[in-house]
Amino acid sequence: MGAQPRSEHERRSSGAAIIEAHGIVKRFGGVTAVDNVGLAVSPGEIHALVGENGAGKSTLMRVLAGILRPDEGTVLVNGEPLSAGSAKSALEAGVSLVHQELSLVPEMTVAENINLGFTPTRAGFTNRREQRRIAAEALDEINVSVDLDEPISRLSVALRQFVEIARAVARKPRILILDEPTATLTPAETAYLLDMLQRLAERGLAIIYISHRIPEIFRICDRVTVLRDGKHVETVDIAEIRPNELVSMMVGRDLEQDLQSHREPAAPGEVVLSASGIRAAGVNGIDLTVRAGEIVGLGGLVGAGRTELVRAMIGADIRSAGDVTVAVNGSVRRITSYQSAIASGVAYIPEERRTDGLALTMTVSDNIALPNRRRLSQNGVLLFGRIAEFAKRLADEVGLRPPEIGRAAGDFSGGNQQKVVLAKWLGREPDLIILDEPTRGVDVGAKVEIHRLVKQLAANGAAVLVVSSDLPELLELSDVIHVVRDGRVVGTLSGAEADEQSVMSLASGETTGSAA
Amino acid sequence: MTAELTVEPGETPESADQEAGVEQQEFNVLVWMSEQGVFVFTALLLVFAGIFIDGFASVDNITDVFNRAAPIGIVAVGMTFVVISANYLDLSVVAQVATSAVLLLAVSNSNNMLLGMALGLLVAIAYGIVNGVAVGVFRANAVIVTLSTTFIGLGLLRWRSGGSIYFGDPDGVIATFGKTKIGPFPLAMLVLIVVTVAMHFVLTRTTFGFLVKSFGSNREATRLAGVNTPLVVIGAFTVSALGALLGGWVLAAFSNTAVSSMSDGFDFEALAAIIVGGTRVFGGKGSVLRTLLGVVFVSALTNIMVLSGYGFGYQQMAIGALIVLAVSVDALARKVGSS
Amino acid sequence: MTQTATLDLGHEKTDLIGRVKTTFARRTEGRAVVLLIAVLIWAFIWESTVFTAYQVTLGRLALIGLTAVGLTAVILMGELDLSIASILAVSGVVMASFDNVVVGILVALAIGLVIGAVNAFFVVIVGINSFIATLGMLFFLRGLAFVISDGKPVTMANKDFALDFGKPLLGEFTPRVLIFILAFITMQVFLTRVRVGREFYAVGGNREAARDAGVPVRRRVFTGFMISGFVAAGAGIIVTLQLTAADPTAGGDALLTSFAAAIVGGILLTGGRGSVLGTLLGAASLAILQVGMTFNGIESDVQNIIIGLVLFVAVITDPNSIRAVVGSARAFLRSRSAPDPAG
Repeated sequence: MGAQPRSEHERRSSGAAIIEAHGIVKRFGGVTAVDNVGLAVSPGEIHALVGENGAGKSTLMRVLAGILRPDEGTVLVNGEPLSAGSAKSALEAGVSLVHQELSLVPEMTVAENINLGFTPTRAGFTNRREQRRIAAEALDEINVSVDLDEPISRLSVALRQFVEIARAVARKPRILILDEPTATLTPAETAYLLDMLQRLAERGLAIIYISHRIPEIFRICDRVTVLRDGKHVETVDIAEIRPNELVSMMVGRDLEQDLQSHREPAAPGEVVLSASGIRAAGVNGIDLTVRAGEIVGLGGLVGAGRTELVRAMIGADIRSAGDVTVAVNGSVRRITSYQSAIASGVAYIPEERRTDGLALTMTVSDNIALPNRRRLSQNGVLLFGRIAEFAKRLADEVGLRPPEIGRAAGDFSGGNQQKVVLAKWLGREPDLIILDEPTRGVDVGAKVEIHRLVKQLAANGAAVLVVSSDLPELLELSDVIHVVRDGRVVGTLSGAEADEQSVMSLASGETTGSAA
Repeated sequence: MTAELTVEPGETPESADQEAGVEQQEFNVLVWMSEQGVFVFTALLLVFAGIFIDGFASVDNITDVFNRAAPIGIVAVGMTFVVISANYLDLSVVAQVATSAVLLLAVSNSNNMLLGMALGLLVAIAYGIVNGVAVGVFRANAVIVTLSTTFIGLGLLRWRSGGSIYFGDPDGVIATFGKTKIGPFPLAMLVLIVVTVAMHFVLTRTTFGFLVKSFGSNREATRLAGVNTPLVVIGAFTVSALGALLGGWVLAAFSNTAVSSMSDGFDFEALAAIIVGGTRVFGGKGSVLRTLLGVVFVSALTNIMVLSGYGFGYQQMAIGALIVLAVSVDALARKVGSS
Repeated sequence: MTQTATLDLGHEKTDLIGRVKTTFARRTEGRAVVLLIAVLIWAFIWESTVFTAYQVTLGRLALIGLTAVGLTAVILMGELDLSIASILAVSGVVMASFDNVVVGILVALAIGLVIGAVNAFFVVIVGINSFIATLGMLFFLRGLAFVISDGKPVTMANKDFALDFGKPLLGEFTPRVLIFILAFITMQVFLTRVRVGREFYAVGGNREAARDAGVPVRRRVFTGFMISGFVAAGAGIIVTLQLTAADPTAGGDALLTSFAAAIVGGILLTGGRGSVLGTLLGAASLAILQVGMTFNGIESDVQNIIIGLVLFVAVITDPNSIRAVVGSARAFLRSRSAPDPAG
């Protein structure tokens, strides 16, 4: 259904469009991240770009901003082809990008960061007065007041986000691209940002707005382009579509189906994990219990403190206060360090698979052997026969494809890499397994298999704790969902009563949550 | 090449979901050179030298090459563990080798050999622990840490020894060891081979060697697998220190003398041998057998230069260039492979 | 819809005391100040000749400080330049080989720039870690200095020029002290006021972000290595003039002292944080320490031990190290303090 509406849309706006992309294709290795996608945005328009994680939004946006060179297709800015592969030339052509990850230099001041890359000079020297003037003007334009000489490292996350936007605005762009700018903002800050964007659009700026949050899109956007699996699905006027239709387009199926696949709540067993008063950077006093056979979900926005909570709980990061115990078969153990957590039967699958989860240059079999080395060795000498057998069994169990345990983990796709991470911990037969964003950047097939494995773990009596920003996933897996905001649990929902709306409203604090 | 670097696929926020399947790697000259090249180059070098360099193939010369190669080889084999653990190198082997040699001869002369060896062992363990704790626990940069321990160690040695030369008993056990030969092969060569085989076993067959590799490949993933990573680093530096200890003994035995300056340049020559052998300078991958091959290459090259009348300066230049060249080939091969 | 509401973004306007605190928290020179105070106290009590013979102390400071200031530019970008030690030797040998001192100096400085550019080439174009690239270069150049000089010290043809160089030029300051002061001020201005220099902090602090913002990262890295090479060559020239001969083995100690000065001075090895002022303070404390020890009759071997210890302590007490250790210490204490609930 992609081709026909797209050509219609391009025809309609080609006359007035300030930025146009035609047939963009971008591949990484053998993987096509963006496949023949077109887009056109006119001055004064706020154009939403939506899609699930891994749909290709960020890649497309980086192509539009000149950071990535497309393999095929062209980007036209005001009719002129954009010289791709250079962030600077795109900025000079009038395309400014506000990154998802903050891209400010922590040790430099607000004024310096706003001018970075375009610092005004006089005979090579920084023109400080001009630098401050430009920064003040940009901050003024978005109506934010902050000390220009403060280093970024001393600002709050929200303020950094606004400085980032001020930096984009300071370039006097004609096209402004924002990648999930509200992910770390409170509702009040979000509302402020949305108003600001509308004002900028009224002054004739073309805005491309990437967000997961459907209400924001309906509030400020004029049109929306939906991507799925790197392909263009639809571009429609926001007035012609309803929120649930948009969501269906994004996921490619009806949401109702997801809700039906919700698992039967398990009969709760003994308490396995018991944490109280956890405090750490970004975590402000959280109590949590997880029982055997139960899947507990942690919902919330990015940056709410969920990852920090689980890492502090098991000792992977420093915790400043709080007590954690793991009870298995009547024996209770205190968790004082990460190693004591692992020794007590905890398995932790971290958020960042490539940097924290796997040794990519080592083989699958080595990766699986790593946490299981004690049982696979005798007197410090590895037993290779046992390792091969063990790794093979686990690779089959998680459905690794292709099942070649002798290959480097880095050779596999994201989904299969994640299966290797699961396999290495399944080998320990954990009593408590903690999964942080278990299916991020994973293809649909692998996602289904990973969900099956997680449910099976719980059915076999393990206590499971899942952190996920993927709402359908959270709802599908969890028996209980704790919603975290600002480092606190702000509400608890049973699996039966939870839906996307209730989790989201608690997570964003838009309504007072009914804590169960 | 354009003015800006392109972003590698792994760094993009949505790096690629691909269907099940692994990337097929095509044949690439740079990759081949960085992985297999050393075998061919070493063979070519030896054949070339045997034919064209007068005196290279003589028994005396081969014995000489082995005598010089053995201590550096033993040091390089130990240091391979540090390189594989992604901590670049252990500069302090220079101080360690000299200390071990001086302790052995000085204490043998004044008391007895076993005490000298025991003291050497204690010093080696101390080096391993100090370097390892600074790098593993304090997460300090290994190059700077070992630079500072080199100066501390050499300073201590020169201060205590007054920079004097120690001569061993010409008929003692140490001198006899240094003189013993099996055919053209000095006993030191046998020590090198035994050490290499033993360390090969440790690296490839034991949990410790496995963890060193794993740590070098991904420090954080290894920590999150429940490994006590500081201990792994301390272990790697201790293996390096034990290699330097043995290397110092062999060096002392060969010349039956010991002086604080006798091991100058051991750090770089050992590193050159390790890198030329194909151990990856970024860690995670490597083998002590390859280091042995690298030692053969570097020693033969040095010997050829000596025989051809190229002195110390040229040898240093060659080894410096060799390090940069070998790492460049590896870096370029990885670049080509990833794009 | 378009009203301009104000919004509290959690940014507190702080009072005077708060501002003073903030200013202190932002500084990176803490360790250098501590060491300097300690060394000054020691010198006052034990070895006040350090102050009366301030010419000697300043001369030493100029020597340690010069290479350290050049090195600072590279470390701020998160890179290392180990080759400075050999650049020192090569530039000295080259300079002394020319009969005409001015030509010799110009050629030596040019060589410093070229070596810096070659280092940068391997780091940014080939993509080798700068530790290894400059380590290879350190070795290569050491050999080159030997080859050029035939392994022997090279005596300068024009000794008068060298002798004049040791005499006070302006007030009581000798040319080499003046050169160091000039280099320090230039670097201070460059890194705080000049756009290119400020962007060094961006390259070291967040390289990806700098690139996306349009900062030409490769060119900045080239500039940094060339500064370091140029300054090291200058130091080599000064040492040669001082001795009226060039030593092909020179520079070994410079590696230790310049790294010690920069790291004590608070230049973060991972880049993006630090100041030339810190390097100056670090170099000053090391200079006073060295000169004091020399006057005190402490042998050079023991001096090396002490400077080595200073570097060792400095490198394990940077903020990242402290954080790592505090984390594990806390876990350890926790495991010791509380009884096991099951037990």
